[in-house]
Amino acid sequence: MIPTTAEILLVDDNPADLDLTIDALKQSKWPSNVSTVCDGAQALAFLHREGKYDSAQRPNLVLLDLNLPKKDGRAVLANIKSNPTLRRIPIVMFSTSQAPPDIEGCYGLGANSYVSKPATLEAWNAAIQSVNEFWIGCAWLPREENQ
Amino acid sequence: MSASATGIQRENEKPVSPKPTLRVLLVEDDPADRELILRELAKGEFEISSAVAQTPEEFRQRIKSQVPDLVLADYNLGTWRGTDALEILRAENLDVPLILVSGTVGDMIAVECIKQGVTDYVLKDSLARLPAAMRGALHDKGMREQRKQTLEALDRKVEELARSNRDLEQFAYVASHDLQEPLRMVAAYTQLLGERYRGKLDEQADKYINYAVDGAQRMQSLIHDLLAFSRVGRMETELKNVNCHDLVGQAMKDLQAAITESGAVVNRETLPSLKANGSQLKQVFQNLIGNAIKFHGSEPPVITISARRHEADWLFSVADNGIGIPPEHAESVFTIFNRLHTRVEYPGNGIGLAICKRIIERHGGYIEVVPREGSGTIFKFTLPATVPCEVQECV
Repeated sequence: MIPTTAEILLVDDNPADLDLTIDALKQSKWPSNVSTVCDGAQALAFLHREGKYDSAQRPNLVLLDLNLPKKDGRAVLANIKSNPTLRRIPIVMFSTSQAPPDIEGCYGLGANSYVSKPATLEAWNAAIQSVNEFWIGCAWLPREENQ
Repeated sequence: MSASATGIQRENEKPVSPKPTLRVLLVEDDPADRELILRELAKGEFEISSAVAQTPEEFRQRIKSQVPDLVLADYNLGTWRGTDALEILRAENLDVPLILVSGTVGDMIAVECIKQGVTDYVLKDSLARLPAAMRGALHDKGMREQRKQTLEALDRKVEELARSNRDLEQFAYVASHDLQEPLRMVAAYTQLLGERYRGKLDEQADKYINYAVDGAQRMQSLIHDLLAFSRVGRMETELKNVNCHDLVGQAMKDLQAAITESGAVVNRETLPSLKANGSQLKQVFQNLIGNAIKFHGSEPPVITISARRHEADWLFSVADNGIGIPPEHAESVFTIFNRLHTRVEYPGNGIGLAICKRIIERHGGYIEVVPREGSGTIFKFTLPATVPCEVQECV
């Protein structure tokens, strides 16, 4: 449980999906600062604080799409989970796919959970609320390491 | 005959010799006998080009430099026999008819030679029979080749069909999978419009938004079903021992709400254990029982599930007292997205029976409906009591 405003990073190439998620997060009782990036390379630059992201906040939670341009979600996930600092950040996969190989593959790479993008607005909002409620409202998260 | 047909006829005519040339390889060590045979051949309808081989080495060399159309071999060749030539042809993987032209060898040996694959046997003192024997041998070979070509063509067609089927499967899966994302955008944002702007536009606008939301949601449910249907074809059918009594029980558990609401009575007679994909077979029972409940008549549904052994199959029957299916729709009910009623009368996409058919057929069975309009429906399907080999391969 974190007392202050949570930092959430959304990684998705579809701006319509990003907007739906941002909209859902705004309705949450847990305040959050939302950053967005739209491909895998940007996501890694953001997390490693490279280039224009050199002063980016370390997110408390990442929502990561699976199929992304440049570097897909699996590669981003693998990179994060093999980095001693970044691997502590909870990564929630958020993808249209419900294919067992995708789901199992992501857990195999160390994803913290896998949520499939719901088909209806109502279910979408409910899914985002659940994720937010659990990871931000309920779970204790690691303190950010001092660099 | 038309002019063009006459033209083709003329092209096919051979200008020099009207007789077809036949390459004959003579395996004969007696020059006098060779002479006799060649003379007999000259009388026949073939233009002969002949070669002679007297030893196995020579024979090998000859057939390697040019494959003959026909081999005429003596039986007794001193150090070797005419049937040895046959072995050499086989070793070279050549299908060339071999006729023994020999003195009397006795019935036992003659029969043995034919058994070994000699095409015919002509006695040297009745060489007049040779042309007929040659014709027969060549005709048989022609038939063999034709049959081989037909089989090869058939194999190619089967392979083409299998590939085109795989392509279609892949297409259905990818198309429906990739359609989901843009469709979700349409569905979610029309819903958002409906929620945030209801009453702020005019009444017409609210109605249009509702239509758009409804259409998008229906399309989502169609794609969801199409994916489910396509998945049955893509998934490997893993066969395990399953107890059908338990599978029906699981299906009923999943249908509990509908069963309670409709007051349905489900009678399970003695059901067998067999080898099947359990989750798929449960789906079949669930879809059939679910349909029986959905399409009930004025009375609460009574559904009876039974099975009996019929030769190598189990013959299952799911009978109900519902509204029935008119005979003219007995086939089309199994077609994907085919519906006999409007959505207002009965909701649904028309996928359930298509999935049942696909599952049953993948298990090596078949499914049919016994049409009895107005007096209930009986679905019958078979499942092999023993595993068919084509399904076993998938395990």
